Amino acid sequence: MLSKTSLVAYVIAFLLILLLTFLLPRLMPGDPLMAIYGDEALVQMSPQLKAELVERFSLDQSLLNQFGAFVSELFQGHLGYSYYFNEPVFDVIMGRLPWTLLLVGLSLILSTLLGIVLGIESGWRRGRRPDRTLLAGIMSLNGFPDFFIGLLLLVIFGVTLGVLPLAGALTPYSGYTGVALFLDVLKHLVLPVTALILAHLAGTYLLTRNTMITVLRAPYMLTARAKGLSQASQRYQHAGRNSMLPVLTQTGLWLGRVVTGALFVEIVFSYPGLGYLTYEAILYRDYPVLQGVLLIVALCVLAANFLVDLLYPKLDPRVRYAH
Amino acid sequence: MHIDVKREVTGSASGRFGMAALGVIVILAVFAPFIAGYDPTAQTPFALEPPSRAHLLGTNHVGQDVWSQLVYGARVSLLVGFSVACLSTLLSALLGSSAALIGGLYDKVVMRVVDAFITVPAIFIMILVAAYLGSSLWVLVILLSLLGWQAGARIVRAQALSLKEENHVLAARCFGAGNRYLILRHILPDLGPILLVEFIFSMRRAIFMQAGLAFIGIGDPGTVSWGMMMNEAREFIFLNAWLWWLLPAGLILSLTIVAITFIGHSLEPAMDPRLGGEVVA
Repeated sequence: MLSKTSLVAYVIAFLLILLLTFLLPRLMPGDPLMAIYGDEALVQMSPQLKAELVERFSLDQSLLNQFGAFVSELFQGHLGYSYYFNEPVFDVIMGRLPWTLLLVGLSLILSTLLGIVLGIESGWRRGRRPDRTLLAGIMSLNGFPDFFIGLLLLVIFGVTLGVLPLAGALTPYSGYTGVALFLDVLKHLVLPVTALILAHLAGTYLLTRNTMITVLRAPYMLTARAKGLSQASQRYQHAGRNSMLPVLTQTGLWLGRVVTGALFVEIVFSYPGLGYLTYEAILYRDYPVLQGVLLIVALCVLAANFLVDLLYPKLDPRVRYAH
Repeated sequence: MHIDVKREVTGSASGRFGMAALGVIVILAVFAPFIAGYDPTAQTPFALEPPSRAHLLGTNHVGQDVWSQLVYGARVSLLVGFSVACLSTLLSALLGSSAALIGGLYDKVVMRVVDAFITVPAIFIMILVAAYLGSSLWVLVILLSLLGWQAGARIVRAQALSLKEENHVLAARCFGAGNRYLILRHILPDLGPILLVEFIFSMRRAIFMQAGLAFIGIGDPGTVSWGMMMNEAREFIFLNAWLWWLLPAGLILSLTIVAITFIGHSLEPAMDPRLGGEVVA
């Protein structure tokens, strides 16, 4: 449901993130320029460049003016300059973003679908052996941190069996095109996507199963049975469809978790997305990159939540009448 | 809402398993000096040794005893988990119940902040803040608490809103009870079970996050933690060493998280009567 309040929440969220990235370096003791760029970068800078940066970010003026300068730079797409990558931060991030979108999008879709189907089947057989086994199995899996699952997959399929690639998103210098390129990308995706699906299946599964159990008691389920509908139709068209709704409202929240998961999984598999970029930025103390990634990730997650809000009334007609 | 916590937890097989497993980890943490056998930070020239009678799980790349590191790691995880759970549950309880009782603009502001924080992945904020403020254990605890109370506050608020309309609360208000008195004497005690579940799940999240951050190299390098062990072991997956170094660290971390999850879930049927009468494996 797209209400004014959720829009306000998104604006506040983004402002808070902006304020954080703005205030943090400026409240550190010492030269703010050093805090923004890190001391190693500062050594390489010429005095003219330093003066220009002070001028551009109004660093010699009041905090309020500095904030104005900071925001206006941002809206022109200037996220700063990365001294490690020797490129503007914006370009560095845009080069990595597609890989993360691919990884996160694919895992989110697959784990949601799998979680819904397993949840429906499990809830339908509530209390019986398949349900109990699945529930215990998925709940235990839920305790395994995504980076540990990733490492295990890497050791088993990458190192010991040697059937899947160990790192990266592409075979370097392979010169593949067309179908070969597509297959190569897919082969590199298998392990990271599997790790993310295994780590994030539980949320969708548990929620679908719980809703399914409540939905099965609804009078319209009795009606469906009385009409003599097939089991599959009862299970999926009547109970299943209604059990999916809470899952979709939660997708926004899970998106945040999958992005966090992608951070770890990308690091494990050296997958060249934003997560691995964050790791490199931590290693090389590339502060502008860290700030840029935080801003872009926040923006993407908020935008996706906004989309879910827009889509929701289409899936649940009751919401349209509720307001 | 009144539930018998002890009966709910010990009444299900998964609850009992959770309590037993967590009990073992707590014993490891408390009696670490007696169980470990070695100083987990002491470096020796005997690097990457396979398990032997002297070193149960062998040694790592700088000759530290892996078993001792595993035992001492329990301290860090439980300490962080417990402290963060205390702090963030306290924040959830105070902010959630006060928002429900005071209402008006205060309620709106609190809830919008909650909405704002819930969507953005906290880990990126943690990484940025830790890059500037350093990552000693206590900075981590405070950061994790500040970023962890929001979801709980929303649940507490919803519950407090319905408690607010209960007769005994209305009666107390008629006798002139103020908001502070109502929160402390009537609302918080009745929120007990919800706060307990919130406590359990924030502990779980804190342990997970601390391990994850240590895994990517954010954390006090002087304290031995499971996440840090996995970070170090990651470089050596091409050797057999991962079997007794990476695997135990990952498994004990997972065991801790699974145990806490099972305890939490064993309380859920009692919290949500709609799922009642359910056989949870």
